[in-house]
Amino acid sequence: MKPTSAQIRQWHEEFEAAARRPLRQRMRYAFIRTYKPVLDDAPYRSFDSMADYRRWCADHLPSWLGYGPSV
Amino acid sequence: MVRAFDYRQAEEIRDALARHAVRYLFIGKSGAILLGFPDTTQDADLFVAKDPANGRALAAALGELGFDLTPQQAAEIESGKDFVQLKNGPFDLDLVFAPDGIETFERAWERRVEIEGFPVCRLDDIIASKVASNRVKDRESLPRLEAFREFLRTKR
Repeated sequence: MKPTSAQIRQWHEEFEAAARRPLRQRMRYAFIRTYKPVLDDAPYRSFDSMADYRRWCADHLPSWLGYGPSV
Repeated sequence: MVRAFDYRQAEEIRDALARHAVRYLFIGKSGAILLGFPDTTQDADLFVAKDPANGRALAAALGELGFDLTPQQAAEIESGKDFVQLKNGPFDLDLVFAPDGIETFERAWERRVEIEGFPVCRLDDIIASKVASNRVKDRESLPRLEAFREFLRTKR
């Protein structure tokens, strides 16, 4: 969905505010940790191709995680 | 559960990979955050040059960082899978050897941005890879990322 001009203005204010913070602080706000079902249940996964990875995500992950293809 | 990725861990990645001369770039939303994008994400994504010597160096650096790689996993990283997801270390890390939407590592490297010593994909490349990935979560984040690109342009 295309953002409204008010939305873009608000984002720009957030970008301005972020630009005033040091990187270390920005990272503290940015990285969060929540459990993601299935995805977090194996210590290691590898895929021969990105297509294989995308297919695995679409087939195995709950759709609400957002890893499936946008239609 | 491991705790959230933080600046100190990013420094550890930067320093360990530099010691082993690994060719890589931060990519994805973690890369955008290094560029100043205020948003949230869960893990760090590295775009790694795909060649055996670089993969070998990366596996050694990951071992130093505390990732518990089996010999087979190290061999996979060396031989070059396109995507590796690591949750067997001090933080979660995604290794992307062939991101959608980016032609070559060399091209992305030429266009990289350095932020406090962190090599980061240019925002155009991060956006291109999200467009090409076409996942729901990428599509949702694109308008804000594109607005951030416009914001950076106005600041130049």
